[in-house]
Amino acid sequence: MRLYPVLFTLPVIAALATGALDSAGPAQAQGPEAQRRVALPNPPDRAPAPAPAWHNTSWLNTDHPLALPELKGRVVLLNFWVFTCWNCTNTVPSLVDFDHKYRDHGLTVIGIHTPEFPPYAGEHDRGNVERALRRYGIEYPNAQDNDSKTWDLYRIRYWPSFVLIDKRGNVRYEGYGEFHLNDGSYRTWDQRIRELLAE
Amino acid sequence: MRSTRPAALALLALFAGCARVSPDEAPLRLSVAAEGPGTRLALHPAPHFKINARLVPALESSDGAVLRFASGRLTADSAYFAEPPSVLVSGRRAEVHGTLRASVCRDDERVCRQVVIAL
Repeated sequence: MRLYPVLFTLPVIAALATGALDSAGPAQAQGPEAQRRVALPNPPDRAPAPAPAWHNTSWLNTDHPLALPELKGRVVLLNFWVFTCWNCTNTVPSLVDFDHKYRDHGLTVIGIHTPEFPPYAGEHDRGNVERALRRYGIEYPNAQDNDSKTWDLYRIRYWPSFVLIDKRGNVRYEGYGEFHLNDGSYRTWDQRIRELLAE
Repeated sequence: MRSTRPAALALLALFAGCARVSPDEAPLRLSVAAEGPGTRLALHPAPHFKINARLVPALESSDGAVLRFASGRLTADSAYFAEPPSVLVSGRRAEVHGTLRASVCRDDERVCRQVVIAL
């Protein structure tokens, strides 16, 4: 019997060669301290910049595709997720809570459902996404990002990720990683939302 | 007899969602072993990594066929494989060709990352 172990070291080389690991976005983990911080939301590392316009055409929980111009004057929390991601679905209760608490105060939570795998895995299927929304009690709008264009537009690299956009349409905070109701990360995002709502 | 040797199967691999990891932190290795008249392929997570069981790993062959890895044992939350997922393919094979996809998570992170490897 033969065993062929494959240590996948080339991806790191490939990523470094293409500069993929050095692109703007969440701070990279370096050392034990950084590893403890890796799942926490990150502070903004650049001046506020206009949020890129997404062009998703398949939406759920809304009667029309949402666009940035119509959201001016509202704070927008984008959640990049996929229903096959345990870390993502574990975070949903917090997002549902934000939606319930702040929708009437000017917050719009938007799920950007971005599949990890090709269509054979079922993540692209609208019916599967609809069932996931019902299962997790998600009432806020969701866009199907089956071609990952919005994911790429926002330079997202992790499931789940979050982008908080202010009333003027500028990206103010970005972060990633599972969090739970009333834990430290939840409180940080809650504070950021309230800060932007008060502006 | 059981032998182990490095195999130059990985031609290109890309992480979508990749923190800086050193080579010794590679998240997965693939084993190919004879089993009866067939060949069993199994994915072994590196220490501190878990394989997402909600999105079972897949091996896509050039003819469009897709093999899905499976395991009877999951973690208590049913989120991850508790033992290496595997798939039995027909015939004896010394090499594997195709595209391998897996969704993995590291214990000290709270995110999913995708691993795509061309074999």
